[in-house]
Amino acid sequence: MRNLILKDLILNKKFLIGIGLFYVPYMAYFGSRINNPRLAIAIGAFLTALAPLMTITREEKFKAAQLSCSLPATRKQIVQARYVLGWLTMTGLYALIAPAMVLFPGSKLSWMSVAGGKAVLTALAFLTLFFGALMPLMIRFGLVGMFSFLIGMQLLGIILMVLRTQGISLINIKGFIAGIRNALLSLNESLGAPGYFVALLAVLILVNLASLTLSVALFRRKDL
Amino acid sequence: MNNALDIRNLTKDYGDFRLDDVSFSLPPGTIMGLIGPNGAGKTTVIKLILNLLRRDGGEVKVFGLDNRQEEAAVKGRIGFVHDAPCFYERLRLTTIKATVAPFYRDWDEPLFRKLLAEFDLPPRKTLARLSRGMKMKFALALALSHRADLIILDEPTSGLDPVFRHELLGRLSGLIQNERTSVLFSTHITSDLERVADFITFLHEGRLVFSSPKDDILDRWAVVKAGRDLLTDENRRFFRGVREREFGFEGLTSDAAAARRRFGDMAVIEKAALEDIMFYISRGAKNA
Repeated sequence: MRNLILKDLILNKKFLIGIGLFYVPYMAYFGSRINNPRLAIAIGAFLTALAPLMTITREEKFKAAQLSCSLPATRKQIVQARYVLGWLTMTGLYALIAPAMVLFPGSKLSWMSVAGGKAVLTALAFLTLFFGALMPLMIRFGLVGMFSFLIGMQLLGIILMVLRTQGISLINIKGFIAGIRNALLSLNESLGAPGYFVALLAVLILVNLASLTLSVALFRRKDL
Repeated sequence: MNNALDIRNLTKDYGDFRLDDVSFSLPPGTIMGLIGPNGAGKTTVIKLILNLLRRDGGEVKVFGLDNRQEEAAVKGRIGFVHDAPCFYERLRLTTIKATVAPFYRDWDEPLFRKLLAEFDLPPRKTLARLSRGMKMKFALALALSHRADLIILDEPTSGLDPVFRHELLGRLSGLIQNERTSVLFSTHITSDLERVADFITFLHEGRLVFSSPKDDILDRWAVVKAGRDLLTDENRRFFRGVREREFGFEGLTSDAAAARRRFGDMAVIEKAALEDIMFYISRGAKNA
């Protein structure tokens, strides 16, 4: 496991440094222009989750998966190492982004709003959501698969909205969006309760484990 | 003592290509050449051994260990060279080595340095700045530096100049002198195999044609050259492949003794080279 993590770290060192040099000033500026910490956290988490996923696209580009899978390691260990490195990368990037968003001149964000306990748990929830959902897709279908999924979701949204303007309503979009907003609001309010905090953390761990299990199963079936 | 490699009824179905029921064994301390025309299934077999592909049937044992259940242990004993280098192109050779070496308990750093020097590989150059032949040499240096018990090479000599090819074959012959290390390598250049291989495994259209000691093959297989009048339907069936010319024909047989009995002095019977066998069998299948 350690060797696999070190291997991926060495192979992607320059790429990750480059991403960091771009993300931190970008998110610092972005954070300074808005006064909605949840949006800053959500966008930051999405960009942060993309970084470890992009390392896999580099492996795809150089067909280096053949190398990884020819080394003395099981496919399960390879995927586990990617998840560990992914989370190390994401937490590292978030640890850089959060203070940058607060300290950037003109920023309206406070420390507690992006680095307090509730904010960190919210960031973890978003990171789990993006990373946990996209990682299996990335492992099985590569970059094309991941972007196809993201574009597909956008197209689905557009189609539903167009249908709604034509008077055809398959689902209640307004209600759906309001539901998400209410869920986030109640989540935010409930985060103060320790029990809720622990329960949410447990759910996030379970989601990550489920994503990892799915990714291992998909990677084992992949022909290289 | 376990064979270095035991492959039984190995099957892989791609839909448009099927590797069908392939079985062969590689004894320790020997070199086996895997031959066959393009698309015969050589790379598929190698990828199945390395568990890069999921097999649909059969089993692969390396030193008695199942290559899926004991994957890490098996791969720890294998040195590999793929047909196309699969390293990050923009990294220096030393950096690539730094990612690979920690995986192997028996990594021999002085040997790696020595091989880089012998192969004229500049350690601080990036892989992207090397020619295909140089990349192949680098892959070889990595494969040989952890004292693997089984070296698997997929088309290692393609892209190499004849001088280095000769050196490589000598090195492979040297490796097996300890009677522990075995080598499996696929190639189109059959003359390389005639020089160093102990066993030849021939695949054609996903099926095993034969897997036998090289000397047996070269003793048993023959090319018969005779006038067209001898090419009767019965004689045609005797051959594994036939090439007709204006005034005569050439036919490949896997039973040189039977050919001598059948044609006697009426035909010229010559030992078949591996290239002849590959040519006539591939051609025979096309004409069938």
